[in-house]
Amino acid sequence: MVPPQVVSSYKQLQQAFSARPSDPKKCALLLAQLKIALSELGLLVPMGDASLEDMIIARDVLEIGAFWSIRSRDIPSFDRYYSQLQTFYNDYSSALPPSPREYPIRGLYLIRLLTQNRIADFHTTLESLPLAADTLTANPYIQHPVNLERWLMEGSYSKVWKAREEAPAEEYKFFVDSLMDTIRNEIASCEEAAYESLPLKDAGTLLFFSSQNELLSFAKQRGWQVNLTAGTTTFAKKGEEKIEIPREKLIAANLALARELEQIV
Amino acid sequence: MADVEMKPVEEKKAEEGKKEESKEQSPAPLTPVAEIKANVALIERAVSTLEPRFTHRVLRTLGALRKKLSDAVLRDAISEVYTTESQTKKTLLGWLPPAPAADQSMDVDSAPPPKQSPPEPVPESEVYFRLLILHHFLTSQNTYKQAMDLAHDTIERMQSLSRRSMDPIAAKVWYAVERTYELSGQLADARPLFLAAQRTASLRHDDETQASLINRLLRSYIQYSLYDQADKLVSKTTFPTSAGNPQFARYHYYLGRIKAVQLNYTAAHTNLQQAIRRAPPAKTAPGFYQAVHKLSVVVDLLMGEIPERSLFRQPVLEKALSGYFEIVKAVRMGSLSQFQSTLSKYASVFEQDKTYTLIVRLRQNVIKTGIRRLSLSYSRISLRDICVKLHLDSEEDAEYIVGKAIRDGVIEGRIVHEKGWMECGGQKGGYGPEVSDVFSRRISYCLELHNQSVKAMRYPLNAHRKELAAAEGAREREKELAKELQEGGDLDDEGPDLGEGF
Repeated sequence: MVPPQVVSSYKQLQQAFSARPSDPKKCALLLAQLKIALSELGLLVPMGDASLEDMIIARDVLEIGAFWSIRSRDIPSFDRYYSQLQTFYNDYSSALPPSPREYPIRGLYLIRLLTQNRIADFHTTLESLPLAADTLTANPYIQHPVNLERWLMEGSYSKVWKAREEAPAEEYKFFVDSLMDTIRNEIASCEEAAYESLPLKDAGTLLFFSSQNELLSFAKQRGWQVNLTAGTTTFAKKGEEKIEIPREKLIAANLALARELEQIV
Repeated sequence: MADVEMKPVEEKKAEEGKKEESKEQSPAPLTPVAEIKANVALIERAVSTLEPRFTHRVLRTLGALRKKLSDAVLRDAISEVYTTESQTKKTLLGWLPPAPAADQSMDVDSAPPPKQSPPEPVPESEVYFRLLILHHFLTSQNTYKQAMDLAHDTIERMQSLSRRSMDPIAAKVWYAVERTYELSGQLADARPLFLAAQRTASLRHDDETQASLINRLLRSYIQYSLYDQADKLVSKTTFPTSAGNPQFARYHYYLGRIKAVQLNYTAAHTNLQQAIRRAPPAKTAPGFYQAVHKLSVVVDLLMGEIPERSLFRQPVLEKALSGYFEIVKAVRMGSLSQFQSTLSKYASVFEQDKTYTLIVRLRQNVIKTGIRRLSLSYSRISLRDICVKLHLDSEEDAEYIVGKAIRDGVIEGRIVHEKGWMECGGQKGGYGPEVSDVFSRRISYCLELHNQSVKAMRYPLNAHRKELAAAEGAREREKELAKELQEGGDLDDEGPDLGEGF
């Protein structure tokens, strides 16, 4: 059974977390204390037969921890909390009552994979969700990252841009910035390939920049030639120059071929 | 999915079993009891001569034999094989319901008291009997509980005996154990058991059991969508190369599935091709054949290839793949609306085949195909028209999508933003360094194939001796000739004259 002081600090944590605005410093302190207490009780990674109430407390603490790490923008810490929660979500799913925070956290993890461009991991995680594939879209927390991924893959970047305000939970917005960076770089590389030159104003709208200064620094970063008087930006041309025949390679291939033929005949 | 996986090998076995029976055994079909007795004799022979070949022959008939089993048959077989009253006989009979009184009395009458007790049958036969009983239990729902008990007992017995000559039978027992757990709906609980057994098997270099167990585990992971764990298992184990083709086919199928989920389509494609090649012919194992082809069609599409039309005309696949055929048509046309309607129409089918999420990923391929078709037919097209033709939501989207397609190398072209159109570049010339690359890749594949097949050729064991003997003979003759020449030279000195005379 969980000792009373742990329960009381758990209550405090809940209060500190749900207060508006929440108190990040107090949360951090309480979380650290609680994690030590839980690991001493053997509840952090539950083994065997812990009582249901204790496990629910442990799960709640970890869930609050996950949300707290996103609010304080500590992504590695979020990863740790997520992997600890996996045990509760997957292995004890039949014993524990489902948590209302389970899907928000799973969704957040999916978005996190997206911002890092870990598409393969994204799909593996998606496949292992305990939901039927055609009901995925019915769950708002999961639907959001699934849509984002689809739009990113087909190139509907404007939809991603518009969807940033439609996040199903407050914490989703914390990922928006890094997601925007990802898509801006994607768009920029597309533009480099698809356009010869582009008016500055249009380039700004395509890249979702509101001010010209932002655009100019971004253009500098990517090495675009900006012509301020004409108001256009020209993209450095790549490729095309490499039409030379790779002689050595061809000779080597032909020699290898001749040797093999010699062996056969 | 459950059944699909099971069928192929079983049915294959059944088929082979039948062939074998008709070939080897007497024209009149044997009674099941006699067949079991013959099989036990074969097992004895396998153990005494250390030839696993005979055991394999016995196990091949398992599928056919399984359908003929009944309480009475098993009871008779046991009491005929175990002539002496022994502990083993008692435990084996203990699993079966007691025989009706009349039956038993007859048994007692007919079996004369043994004059001199023959040696007790080998433990392999006992495990074989247990396997038969287990399969018999699995045919009816009422005996699942008993089957579970027997399964555990058998595993213990196998592990305490630990005989290498038992391995082929043990591999089959594990299959039956998995089936037991699955039918009673506790497949996940069997995992620790399999993992432990797998460790032991790999330590003992028990290849057959290992192959069987790795497949059991993969199946159990994939059933519960635990692709991470499955992937780790694959990376931590090596699949024994001496495993039989049916096990290899399954293994490749599971690998293909894992790789497809991880977006590694090229590897998935290779694995599925292997699975198709190693699988038994379509007629004998339609279930497996269909399952592999379903997945392979989707993976082909994801790689941007269109499967051949003839595939969907095969009698075994035609009906099972109808939904997939519609999807292929939609992707080929590049029509998003047709794709969406097909997807929703066959959603439940795809969900059942566990390919739904894979097919959803095809959406971008549909768009790409659409853009490519447009770029081939128009030299210049406005973004608005692209939008209308591909059923996209807005021109803005169309611009981004076309831009991405150009970057990904799907089409050659440029966007002229001020005028709002896309200009399509001419097709690339068909000649260049890349042509020779493709050529050398294909040639090297052919050469590789040739070299592999030369290596794989079997040479009769003593062939080189013959050659050696021939060479030896030739040398001998040469020597004789030389000797004769010499002697001849000694004998008649007017050799040159003779030469002239000729």
